[in-house]
Amino acid sequence: MSVFIKHYKASHLLSASNVKFFRFSSTAADLPLKKEDDDEEFRVLDIVKKRQRQQRRLNKRTDIQPDRSDRMAIDQKWGNVWPGPKTFHPSSVPLPLRQGYVPKGQAPPGKKANAELMKIPNFLHLTPPVVKTQCEALKQFCTPWPELLNSEEAIEKHYPVEIISSNYCHASPSIRNPLSRVVSLRVKLSDLKLDKHARDKFLRIIGDRYDETTGLVTITADRCPAKKQNYDYVNYLLTACYFESFNVEDWEGEKTEDDMEYYDFDRNTSRKNLINWYLKSKNEVKSMSEEEYRDFDISQIDHAEVYKNAVSKIMNDGESDDTLRSYDEAVRKLLGLPQKAASS
Amino acid sequence: MNSSIVKLAQSNLLQSPQAPSWCAVLASQLHTSPALCRVVSGKYRITKKRDKPLTYEMANPPHFIAHRKSWNSWNTSSLKDGLRRSETAVEDEFIRRFMSGTWHGLMCSEVIIKRQFNHIRVAAIIRRAVSPTKMYFLLGYTEELLANWLQCPVTLELQTVDSFKDVVFKYI
Repeated sequence: MSVFIKHYKASHLLSASNVKFFRFSSTAADLPLKKEDDDEEFRVLDIVKKRQRQQRRLNKRTDIQPDRSDRMAIDQKWGNVWPGPKTFHPSSVPLPLRQGYVPKGQAPPGKKANAELMKIPNFLHLTPPVVKTQCEALKQFCTPWPELLNSEEAIEKHYPVEIISSNYCHASPSIRNPLSRVVSLRVKLSDLKLDKHARDKFLRIIGDRYDETTGLVTITADRCPAKKQNYDYVNYLLTACYFESFNVEDWEGEKTEDDMEYYDFDRNTSRKNLINWYLKSKNEVKSMSEEEYRDFDISQIDHAEVYKNAVSKIMNDGESDDTLRSYDEAVRKLLGLPQKAASS
Repeated sequence: MNSSIVKLAQSNLLQSPQAPSWCAVLASQLHTSPALCRVVSGKYRITKKRDKPLTYEMANPPHFIAHRKSWNSWNTSSLKDGLRRSETAVEDEFIRRFMSGTWHGLMCSEVIIKRQFNHIRVAAIIRRAVSPTKMYFLLGYTEELLANWLQCPVTLELQTVDSFKDVVFKYI
C-alpha cells in the first residue's frame, strides 16, 4: 500500500504533503506527529524518550526451534523420549501441566519456566510399559523359586537360621554406610538340639538374647567394620555357645538346692514325701536311700503327674487364685477326696 | 509475662530491708524488654509503584516451603541420621555460587540441586541472552569443573526462557 502511494504521488505532492505521505506509509510512526499537528499546545520535552522506546520492535529470534512436544506423534514410544531419570523439561513433555499456588479464581502457572515442576522428582521414565519391558529384560537373570519351599513352615524347617542385615541407599559420593555392617542371626531355640543341662546352660550364656514369648535367639554383631566379618562372627558366637553349653564343669556338680534358680520337683523333699505317703498307704513302710528315692518311678502313683505340675507351678509362678485352685484339685485327686463344689 | 515476673522480683529485692548492696546494681542492669519477633528474611517489601518483579519462588516466603513451594536441595543428608550433612550443605552452596558466577546474569531461577546416589543434578532456568555456542561451552565447562571438584558425575539440566519476564509470577 505504502509503496503504491509513494510512486503515485511522488511527482505532485512531494514538497506539499510531506506529512501526509508519512501518515500513509506508517501508521505507528506518525502518531506523535499527528498529535503535534492537532493541538497547538506545549510540546512536551521527552527526555526519557518513552514514545520512541514503545515503538521499538522486538526482533524475533530465528535460531529457536518450536517446541518438540507440539510435533510429537501420538503413537510414539514414550520410553525412547524419556529413557532415564531427568529433571522435568516442558519441551519434551506433551502434557498440559500446571503447578503452583495462586489465589482463588486464577490458573496456576503453566509448565514453561516453572521451577516448581523442575524441583519435584518425576517418574516419567517409569511408565507401566517401560517397567514391563525392563522386567522382561531382567527375567533371563532370574531362577525359579524352589517348588518344595512353598510355605513358611517348609522354609523354617529347611532354613532354621535367619540372617538379618540391611543395605542403605543414599545420596553421597560414597556408597558405604556404617550401619550396613550390623548383622543379626536369629534361630529358634527349639531347632537347636540341646539336652536339659545344655539348654539351661545355653540360656545362661546368651542371657537376654533369648526372647521367651517368641522362643527366638537373636545374636547381633556390629563390632567389626565389614558385614562379612560380622556375619562370620555371629556364626562363630552361635557355634561357640552351642558347644560350650554341652561342657560340664567340675563345679557344676556342687550345685545344691539353695543354688537352684527354679523349683525342681524331682530334687525336692516334696517328692520324697509323696513316695513315703504312697508306700505308707500301701503298708510298705521301709527306709530308702537317696538312690532308691531318685530311681523311684512316680508315674505308678495315680495323679502324681498332676500333683507334680501343680506343686511346681505354685512354687515357680507364686501363689495366685489359679495356681492355688489347681493345687487344690491335684491334692484332692491324689488323696481320693471329692472335688470341691463349684459354688464355693 | 516473663518480664513482669522479673520486674516483680526486682521491686521485691529493692524494697526488702535485708537486700545486700549488690542487689541494686544487679537490678539496674537487668534488661527486660520483650523480644521483637519480626521475620524479614526471604520476604520482599512492596514498592510504591508496584513494579518489583517476583518469581514464584520469591513470592512465597520461607514458611511456605513444603506447602506452596518445595525445597531447592534434594538429598538424603537432610533426613534423620543422614550422612555427610555439613559436606553436602557446603557443596550445595559452592555449586550455587559457581553457577551464578559462571552463568552470570543469565540465571532466572534458583539453582535446584538434586542428588541421586553419587550423581548430582543441577537444574536451573537460563535466559537466552548468549549464543547457543557459548551456552554449550558453559554447559560443558560447568559440568567438567564441578565433576572434578566434587568427584561425582554432575549433570546440568537447563531450561531456557526468552527473558526474565517469563519467570515473573507477580509484581509487588
